[in-house]
Amino acid sequence: MTIAFHPDISTLMAWSAGTLDEPFAVVVSTHMAMCEACRETARRTDLIGGALLKAETAEPMSDGALERLLEAADDERIDLPEPRGSDSVDPSVPQPLARYLPDGLDAVKWKFSGPGVATCELPTGTNANGRLMLLRVGAGKRVPEHGHGGQELTLILRGAYGDRFGRFAAGDLADHDEDVEHQPIAEPGEDCICLVAVDARLNFRSRVIRTLQPLFGF
Amino acid sequence: MYALSMSDERQKPGPSGQTEADPAALLDRVARDRDKAALAELFAIFAPRIKSMMMKLGADAALAEDLAQETLLSVWRKAHLYVAGRGAVATWIFTIARNLRIDQLRRQSNKPYVDLESIEIESDARGAPSLLEESEIVDRVSRAIETLSPEQREVVRLSFVHELPHAEIAVRVGIPLGTVKSRLRLAYDRLRPMLEDLH
Repeated sequence: MTIAFHPDISTLMAWSAGTLDEPFAVVVSTHMAMCEACRETARRTDLIGGALLKAETAEPMSDGALERLLEAADDERIDLPEPRGSDSVDPSVPQPLARYLPDGLDAVKWKFSGPGVATCELPTGTNANGRLMLLRVGAGKRVPEHGHGGQELTLILRGAYGDRFGRFAAGDLADHDEDVEHQPIAEPGEDCICLVAVDARLNFRSRVIRTLQPLFGF
Repeated sequence: MYALSMSDERQKPGPSGQTEADPAALLDRVARDRDKAALAELFAIFAPRIKSMMMKLGADAALAEDLAQETLLSVWRKAHLYVAGRGAVATWIFTIARNLRIDQLRRQSNKPYVDLESIEIESDARGAPSLLEESEIVDRVSRAIETLSPEQREVVRLSFVHELPHAEIAVRVGIPLGTVKSRLRLAYDRLRPMLEDLH
């Protein structure tokens, strides 16, 4: 898989630091499952965390902590590698997304959100601030032009779309800040299905389009 | 006021004042021999540091200690999954602590993080292993971090040690979100050549 668009390095650093809001962490993890280059970059950014942990000052553990650990270690349980992809019936769903989509992409219950556009919100933990959703744009259809009130990550799972930044196909990730406006158009031939994390209300430019705000469920 | 401890970045000697054992050798003893003495040494090196990091990001002492304990117990149970030569043991333990914190502190029902090794376990596209010793890797990364400007090091520490989201760093430091991101980008550009052959 040739991947042309990746998360911004500051987004990957936040992934390594563990500070991404859950919907964003899911999108980045899913991209990583598809992108060897970003897995390599994450190993480098993880090193920053390792070195800073090693340089941390020691906060003494309480008496008996070591004994309790060794006692717990008596239980000979070991962790097996996490099985790859088996959390979903759909082998095309990458492992990090499988927990959110156990029945696969073909079983998604789509909600009509405008001409040629459908969405499905995926449940996240109660501490998530942003929202995680699937977006399906019919072949040849366009997503209304929109800006962003905050960061938006869009990972293409199937099909492809084009906008002023280029052509985004499966595995590509669009990492847009609040000051970006764009109008993606799905390529003819196949519906384009994306995994999207948004942390703020999208800001559609035209009044007609504003009636499509349910597009993202707000 | 928020005090950043810039001066505590030097490696501390072990509890006995002697040089600490090589964590990679200790982890190997845990994986192959189920050696509890080696686990105890890893505990001595890492548990107090994990506890300190967890307290900096807002956990109280009891929770921070629980997370440190859980991390070391995971080290015991996952030791056989560590791939030697894929980076420092300190990095591997940092990622275990990070994932536990995300799952427990935020009480998330889902697990948005996956182990990179588990994604790659059946992948044939594995990078070349590093030939450097554990301590050399950590020293080189630490020295690289020292070369950052104070502004860059501040945002890196607030992100990785205090584990603040970028938007909160912006508020804490009093700079726009875009400046937080650009400082992190500049920091990475600076670190990158020094990180390149270390993983």
